[in-house]
Amino acid sequence: MMNSSGGGGGRMPTSTATSSSTTSRSSWRSTSVSGSGKRIQKELKDLDSQPPPLSSAGPIADNLYHWLATFIGPTGTPYEGGIFFLHILFPVDYPFKPPKVVFKTRIYHCNVDSSGNLNLDILKDGWSPALTISKLLLAIRSMFFTPNLHPYNAVPSIAHLYQVDRKTHNELAAEWTFRFAK
Amino acid sequence: MVTQDSKRTPKSNKTPSNQTQLSSENRNNNMSMISPRFKSVAAMAGWDEEALLLASLVVEDTPERLLKDKKRSDLNHKSPLNVSSRRKRRRSRSLSIPVLNLDEDEDQSTNTDTNHKETEKNKSDLTKTADDIPKEKENEESANCSSSSTFACMDRLKDELSCAICLEICYEPSTTPCGHSFCKNCLKSAADKCGKRCPKCRQLISNGRSCTINTVLWNTIQLLFPQEVEARKAAAAAVLNNRVAEKRKKSPENRMNTSRVSISNHANNNSNLNLSRRTRVSQRSEEARVSNNRRGVPNQDEDAALALRLQREEFMEIYRADSSLARDNLRAMARRAMNVPRNRAI
Repeated sequence: MMNSSGGGGGRMPTSTATSSSTTSRSSWRSTSVSGSGKRIQKELKDLDSQPPPLSSAGPIADNLYHWLATFIGPTGTPYEGGIFFLHILFPVDYPFKPPKVVFKTRIYHCNVDSSGNLNLDILKDGWSPALTISKLLLAIRSMFFTPNLHPYNAVPSIAHLYQVDRKTHNELAAEWTFRFAK
Repeated sequence: MVTQDSKRTPKSNKTPSNQTQLSSENRNNNMSMISPRFKSVAAMAGWDEEALLLASLVVEDTPERLLKDKKRSDLNHKSPLNVSSRRKRRRSRSLSIPVLNLDEDEDQSTNTDTNHKETEKNKSDLTKTADDIPKEKENEESANCSSSSTFACMDRLKDELSCAICLEICYEPSTTPCGHSFCKNCLKSAADKCGKRCPKCRQLISNGRSCTINTVLWNTIQLLFPQEVEARKAAAAAVLNNRVAEKRKKSPENRMNTSRVSISNHANNNSNLNLSRRTRVSQRSEEARVSNNRRGVPNQDEDAALALRLQREEFMEIYRADSSLARDNLRAMARRAMNVPRNRAI
């Protein structure tokens, strides 16, 4: 369960793979894939009709299982004014397994590790199939304001600095934002 | 009292009928406003029912004095039982058109599949009030309520009745002990893959396999969104057919496998191999299999016969190069086993 998101991330299907799996033996599998595809399409439609504030998300090229999300650093935080790009990778059994979120823009945040992987409770054990990408974006947005300091989710050094010396932490975060996200 | 009555009766007769209806309905509302407990208490205090009602009418803020008078006159005229029965009749009359329509639809939908599509059409017409009103005569009564509001209402209903997992209208909804409803299949897979917790509130739920359909909700959804339900039914049926066909294909072959060991293991491979290798008999066996599939329940005798035939063909393949004697022996054996007349045997 620990690396459930990682396991899901390892089997990211491409759009061509979903369409070609029509042999009789893999019919069950193909239906499950189309189930996730259907749901992702529906979410895309909902996102288009009701875009979340200060963020956007959509598939990269024609692969429905690989999305790009954009965040604008919220005002009042050290990430203010930065534009952050994230990749969202959907597993084959998507609503039942969480998507994997990777920051493509470098960010100084205790929930984002050095390679950009986002560690959130709801992307691991806390995932529920009733969660959607728009809710996930909302969670990421709130993460900008209040980082999750639980040792299970946080990079220890950054979390420690956040707790001990907030001013230095914020300065560092603002500097990273200025250097990488503008 | 009597003089009052005689004074007021002409007035009340003059008033338009709908006004009297309204007043009597109002009065009935008042009746329902007074709880039986309160009534009993009032009775103990020495108030009779009429006095109570009069008091409630005085309290009620009716803008027109005249109306109140009429109410009072009405009050004095009829016994409450009479009025309530009249009211019931009136209500049924006023609502009769839409109610009847719905009932019809429901009856038809439960009848047969052939009728189903027709009723679906009717129902979908009813739901699509916004654009179809001018064209369709049937929709005239639904035009009465403002179409835009019904449309928005349907959208909201759709949101409310959709499954949080697949984000579509709940198909065969199943309700968790915590009160959240999902498609039965969605809930099952969620319980299998994500642990036995409610996807919405994370409360512990029982095993996903034991979930049952919430019939009331399911019927409601079927009535409200016949098109969506039909589409999903078709999809589900297609998947089911696929699976059943696959199973059917496998099952007779597996039975045959017990008799002949030489052929390779997988059922699908088998069918392909059979098709390519055997030309004449396989055709026939295919046919038999298809007929089996169509009939639904595979006949055991037929299966046995099929197995025998295939077995014989297998031997034929092996011994084709050998002497004709062996072949003849085999033929005879097979014929005896099958009790098939000579001309039909190969």
